[in-house]
Amino acid sequence: MKCITIGTVQSNQKVADQIFFATIEVPEIARQCLPGQFVNIYFPGSVKLFPRPFSIAGVSGKSILILYKVIGSQTTLMSRWQTGRQVKLLGPLGNSFTISEDKSVEYVLLAGGVGAAPLMFFRDELAKKKIKPHFFIGAKTKSELPIIEDVKSDLIVTTDDGSKGLKGTVIEHFEDFIKNIRRPVSLNVCGPDSMMSALKNISFPDNVTINVSLEKTMACGLGLCQGCVVKTTSGKYNGHYALVCKDGPVFNLNDVEFDE
Amino acid sequence: MNDLSIDLGKGLKLANPVLTASGTFGYGDEVSEVVDVNRFGGIVTKSLSLEPRIGNPPPRIVETPSGMINSIGLANIGLEAFLREKAPYLSQLSCKVIINIAARTEEEFCDVIKALDNEKWISAYEINVSCPNVKEGGIAFGTDPDVLRCLTRKLRDKTDRYLIVKLSPNVTNIAQMAEIVQECNADAVSMINTLYGAAIDIHTRKPKINTVIGGLSGPAIKPAALAHIIKAREVIDIPIIGIGGISNGEDVIEFMLAGASAVQLGTVNFYNPCAIYEILNFIEQYMTQYNLMSLQKIIGQALV
Ligand SMILES: Cc1cc2nc3c(=O)[nH]c(=O)nc-3n(C[C@H](O)[C@H](O)[C@H](O)COP(=O)(O)OP(=O)(O)OC[C@H]3O[C@@H](n4cnc5c(N)ncnc54)[C@H](O)[C@@H]3O)c2cc1C
Ligand SMILES: Cc1cc2nc3c(=O)[nH]c(=O)nc-3n(C[C@H](O)[C@H](O)[C@H](O)COP(=O)(O)O)c2cc1C
Ligand code: FES
Repeated sequence: MKCITIGTVQSNQKVADQIFFATIEVPEIARQCLPGQFVNIYFPGSVKLFPRPFSIAGVSGKSILILYKVIGSQTTLMSRWQTGRQVKLLGPLGNSFTISEDKSVEYVLLAGGVGAAPLMFFRDELAKKKIKPHFFIGAKTKSELPIIEDVKSDLIVTTDDGSKGLKGTVIEHFEDFIKNIRRPVSLNVCGPDSMMSALKNISFPDNVTINVSLEKTMACGLGLCQGCVVKTTSGKYNGHYALVCKDGPVFNLNDVEFDE
Repeated sequence: MNDLSIDLGKGLKLANPVLTASGTFGYGDEVSEVVDVNRFGGIVTKSLSLEPRIGNPPPRIVETPSGMINSIGLANIGLEAFLREKAPYLSQLSCKVIINIAARTEEEFCDVIKALDNEKWISAYEINVSCPNVKEGGIAFGTDPDVLRCLTRKLRDKTDRYLIVKLSPNVTNIAQMAEIVQECNADAVSMINTLYGAAIDIHTRKPKINTVIGGLSGPAIKPAALAHIIKAREVIDIPIIGIGGISNGEDVIEFMLAGASAVQLGTVNFYNPCAIYEILNFIEQYMTQYNLMSLQKIIGQALV
């Protein structure tokens, strides 16, 4: 059940260029959240009214983890959070990535930059079931990579400039990989819109199910404002607009369109 | 025990003066895990039309200083789905339920009212004649005095239920519009709907919302809303339901002093979904501080 509550910052560390990793103690949310779900963080008294949505990047005891990139005013405020700081939160919000009943399914995680956040949580859940996914993570350059090593997955790191891992975009390397896969694949993706559009142009074999976690500007996160819509295809949502905060943020790639 | 109840006349009594504003609280069920909906004096539902509307393409919302612009385009599930899916939840609420209706034509308004008039749990209708984001109809009803008169008369004829007309601030003379609503025997006016607003991305040079011009709401519009209410109060006696940028208990008292008998919370539901608790606490304290037996006593008591 969603709740509004106050969390306490346990740690807030810089892990890469403009990228921070925060641990927030908030038992009510940590207890029940699923990978793919997000929280709203509120900034009371700000002239910028909207709460900011952040994927839950993992759970540690009574705390949730947030991996975030400083891109504007509120994330700048967050980067200054000190241990002990109280934060107003709403969550857990939205739907989640799912683990298939089918034991033969191979899991592939595909992240662009801080898009790694929800996939790191999913990787933890898979590890609990003794499943080791392939985890592709790409960034422009080494200093923008949120993670560079991982024991719970087969990590494949890419950078556009080749400063770390394989040179080129994460999509290019992923395309080479997926060609040779025979087993059914659950592909789970989170990254910038450009990455999602690139995915649409790849022709996948039938045995690949693709789940993407989307980002849209959100005013409420609760399905109240109808602001966070994504255009859908004729499938599940009948070509209507779906709400990223409530119907998503995780969608089947075939159900959504990106041509805005 | 302080008496927060408000009598809006014609049998409509609210346990407290705080309602939700249409389009900012869904149908109540979405937030019921987070807020006790029955703490409100009543809820006003998302604008309902005869047929479902998918609404405008994105981007639909943008943040602006102390406010936001929206162009949702009255996306809603339509009358049939509303009665099937939302009525069971709404009808068991103990707070009042007010149904906001939007339509493209007079006939459409009448058809929706006809279908809802049998639903005993509905306390009032709020007529949205003032949405700035739909091309046809919508705001035309709220900006042309003759069209507004004609529509209000017709709806008054159609129903005995409590009838609220929601006014647009995007007119030259809002007092005149309020007067027309009173002349046509509607029971109350609510005001204001959103103001025209726009925002442009300086890098892409594109408008930040799809319709270019949308509806501005939030604390940024509070002074405008108060000014409109003061103007309307001078010319009408029927209750005014105040809307526009309310975010806390102080704001509620300010609106009531300006002449509002009740108020609606809009954008604040997005950035402080639990505002209602803080607001009711503040009102209680204020009443104790100023020794007010009944909240009703402060309506229109500003020394203007
Ligand atoms: C479901 C969801 C999960 C997210 N998870 C993460 C995460 O795990 N880590 C992370 O770093 N970021 C995440 N984001 C993006 C994050 O919400 C934005 O980076 C943040 O809101 C920026 O706030 P700001 O005030 O610093 O930037 P601003 O100064 O407001 O804006 C800078 C830029 O960010 C965009 N932006 C602003 N508000 C939002 C918003 N509410 N949603 C999306 N984009 C916005 C603007 O269009 C602008 O281009 C997520 C977004 C969504 C919708
Ligand atoms: C996202 C959004 C959707 C809205 N939808 C409707 C609507 O469907 N019908 C309506 O009459 N008013 C609608 N409004 C206007 C509000 O009910 C209210 O009049 C306005 O937002 C001003 O109040 P506020 O500043 O407290 O938000 C909407 C406002 C917002 C922000
Ligand atoms: S953010 Fe308001 S409906 Fe999704």
